[in-house]
Amino acid sequence: MTSITGILGITFGAALLTFLLHHLVPKLRNIVAILAVGATGYIAWQMPIDSYMTHFTIGSFDIIWGNSEYSKLFALLISVLGFFALIYSHDFMAGKKRLGYYYMNFLIAIGSMYGIVYSQDLISLFFFWEIMTWSSFLLIIYCCKDSQQVGLKYFIFSAIGAYSILIALVLIYANLGSVTFIKVFAQFGSMSFEVQLSSVILLLIGFGVKSAIMPLHVWAPKSYAISPSPFTAVFSGALSKMGVFGIGIVLFKLASQGGYYIYVKEILAWIGGITALLATFYAVFQTDAKKLLAYSSVGQLGYIVVGLAIGTPLSIMAALFLAVLHAAFKGALFLATGAVYHRTGTTDMNEVSGLVRKMPYTFLTALMGIIAVSGVPPLGGFAGKWMLYQSLIESDHYFLVIVVFASSTAAFLYLYRYIFSLFLGQEEKEFEDVKEVSWLMRIPMLTLVIFTLVVGVAPGLLLEPISGAMGYLGVGATQFETTVIWNAWGNKIDMFTIMNSIGILFGIAFVFITVKGFKSGRYVTTKDIHTSGEVPTENENLTYAVDFYKPFERALGWVLKPSVDKFYNKIATNLEHAFDHLRYIYTGNGQTYAMYVVIFLVILIAFSELIFGVKL
Amino acid sequence: MDINWIKILGLIVTVVMAFFTGALYGGLARVVTARIQNRFGPPALQNLFDIIKLYSKKTSINHGWMQHLGPVWAITASTTTLLFIPILRDSTFFTNLSFDGDLIFLMYIMVFGSLGMALGAGQTGNPNSAIGVSRGLSQLVGYKVPFILSLVALMIQFQTTNLNDLLAVQDSFIHWNIFQSPFAFLAGILAFLGMMGYKPFDIVFAPAEIASGPPSEFGSKYLGMMLTSRSIFTFAKLVLFVNIFFGGADNIFILLIKTFLLYMIPLLIGIVNPRFRTEQAVRFFWGFPTAFGIIAVILAAW
Repeated sequence: MTSITGILGITFGAALLTFLLHHLVPKLRNIVAILAVGATGYIAWQMPIDSYMTHFTIGSFDIIWGNSEYSKLFALLISVLGFFALIYSHDFMAGKKRLGYYYMNFLIAIGSMYGIVYSQDLISLFFFWEIMTWSSFLLIIYCCKDSQQVGLKYFIFSAIGAYSILIALVLIYANLGSVTFIKVFAQFGSMSFEVQLSSVILLLIGFGVKSAIMPLHVWAPKSYAISPSPFTAVFSGALSKMGVFGIGIVLFKLASQGGYYIYVKEILAWIGGITALLATFYAVFQTDAKKLLAYSSVGQLGYIVVGLAIGTPLSIMAALFLAVLHAAFKGALFLATGAVYHRTGTTDMNEVSGLVRKMPYTFLTALMGIIAVSGVPPLGGFAGKWMLYQSLIESDHYFLVIVVFASSTAAFLYLYRYIFSLFLGQEEKEFEDVKEVSWLMRIPMLTLVIFTLVVGVAPGLLLEPISGAMGYLGVGATQFETTVIWNAWGNKIDMFTIMNSIGILFGIAFVFITVKGFKSGRYVTTKDIHTSGEVPTENENLTYAVDFYKPFERALGWVLKPSVDKFYNKIATNLEHAFDHLRYIYTGNGQTYAMYVVIFLVILIAFSELIFGVKL
Repeated sequence: MDINWIKILGLIVTVVMAFFTGALYGGLARVVTARIQNRFGPPALQNLFDIIKLYSKKTSINHGWMQHLGPVWAITASTTTLLFIPILRDSTFFTNLSFDGDLIFLMYIMVFGSLGMALGAGQTGNPNSAIGVSRGLSQLVGYKVPFILSLVALMIQFQTTNLNDLLAVQDSFIHWNIFQSPFAFLAGILAFLGMMGYKPFDIVFAPAEIASGPPSEFGSKYLGMMLTSRSIFTFAKLVLFVNIFFGGADNIFILLIKTFLLYMIPLLIGIVNPRFRTEQAVRFFWGFPTAFGIIAVILAAW
């Protein structure tokens, strides 16, 4: 069954099976889920490139599913991340309620994402897009009662996005008479200017909602924070990438055929840049670790959108590279945060502290994760950032590069706060008995961060499939080797030399300080510190975590005051008031309704001559 | 792969030279400060003696692996920064590992050390360290903005992200970038003040207030390694700025003169100025320095 029907059949079939098994043989449930995603990943890996693989008609619509290099890249991303998240779920979700519901929706979400990337027509894209929204919505409201408000917000925004896509679909169908990709790609330019532009904008809004581009991002922080951690990893790593997948297609397959292309690109690039900057600033002041990472995801997707929108070969390469890498490191960070939650029961950074000695592997994951996010060499983030900056500078986006760079530097702030608050700092009595999580949870996290290291040293390994995907988008890749990347000016970066240099120096310094330093030392507690002569008592709180960046907040001043979220909430409240007035009419009282009927009849009779032309 | 032994010797000499020069400059800075304040001050080699003394000491306590690795991390980053900067122009011996397109790499690797040190300081649990780190990172975001603006201005002016190419265009005195793009220089040098961490931008370490902040829990070899790293890093930053704005150097002697004169700028400004609070410092960097940087970019793009 090396085909798309096989992949979809296995995932959706396994979804039903896990739900049934939950009531029959709960132990098999997890294994079935993991095996199903693993098997589909293998099929996706082996599947030949064929854009016309499965074909049937429903009504008068051609439904086509096919595999391209571009689909393959995203399909592998989904399966690998989903696979690790499911392995992690085995222990993380153990003992929780309604696991059948959880696994079923998880698998449906993964299956629908497969459907999206393999769709070769707008109808099935829209169909799977809706399934994805439903299943992820059901997972957001999995946890608790307060989640319904959050889920509702997510759902409203998703609905806005879905209707945008639907209207664009109808527009295109009305004008071209077909919604298959082959025909739409070929004839999009033949439509009138207004139709082209409005369908491009509508599609961008639809995909922008899922990739949480400002000002459509407001659902993201809370939804990410409240969904179960393994799913958050997939949510931020793979599900949001579906938006990126769509934006790529809209920009390079559709919009590139019109004269407005250059303006759409520039505007989108600036929206991406501002998203990156503001989301980073918001992330700095979050107190919940998952919310912090959520804002960070919004910011990182801003970079990816910038890269796609610039549209030079190097920038697209950077965007896709960052898209894959973001799945790895942000997935790992969400899993690490989940591990902390699993052991301490909270992700509030003002509460948890000093876990480094209790959870060394989780700390290692978080450490490598934040290095990858920050873009410091030698981990993968650097290669992506390097390509992005080079492409921005050489394509004359001078001020955009400043915005992106400023947000990337400000990212250090929240990344340090994240790792410091959770793992470093004072060791609290409350968390004395915290233990490291099981190997089944450690392995997925560690594998993901090791991937970022490998790709950091040899970015060519990942750029190989990416250049294939770029071929599908109609853009040639720039020059690269396994460890070396060139820009358009002929400047290059050699990751291998950098890695060697850092590795050797680190090794020398480490041996030097360890041989005589570490072993002879006595470990002291975090209370045993220099406090200018005052001896801290047992229960004295020395943690510095609350308002960690107060000075920076003061420096920013008014920048953070305006909030789109508040604006939307105001609209919602006003609408609520408006609907409140409607309730004076729909009172729910039978007598009132009876009176309406009487009044209606009286009006009919009184004005019968006007209405019917006959006097009753 | 054949190993270029001459080059490796060059690397080692560079690092040793950077360490001694950096430590010496640190000592001289103390002498200059003392003379201005009408004191005698310590001998110029005092910093060097301190570091050697610290290396000879044994440590009896540690706070765990991250604290242990902090100084290692810091020295790795500062040495790597140095190794990817060409020390002298057109020299086979001192080009080091510099490659094409390294300016963006340098901007990132320069932060790597601070991050390592911040993580090491974090594990000790000392609130002063955490306060220092919080201030340091805030200030970092402040001065990075004018710094990147000035670099971008130069990059687009000369269509390169390569330090060697930037050296090549400054072939005579009047072609130094300080004259070719004065606004980029203004933005860069003001950012440099923040980078060096002298007053008015020394609230990160603020000895009298938060007990030196981040390094306050580090003693003996740890402190020795941190000071070594700081000396090397100081020299690396000086060479970088000499290369970017002052036409690099043809031989070691000229390099020492240029770097020393450059070093005096933040020092002398610092001696006669009081300290900024963090938000004041950040706002300072986002004021005039950023404005100069934007002017530089506009002029270069024109």
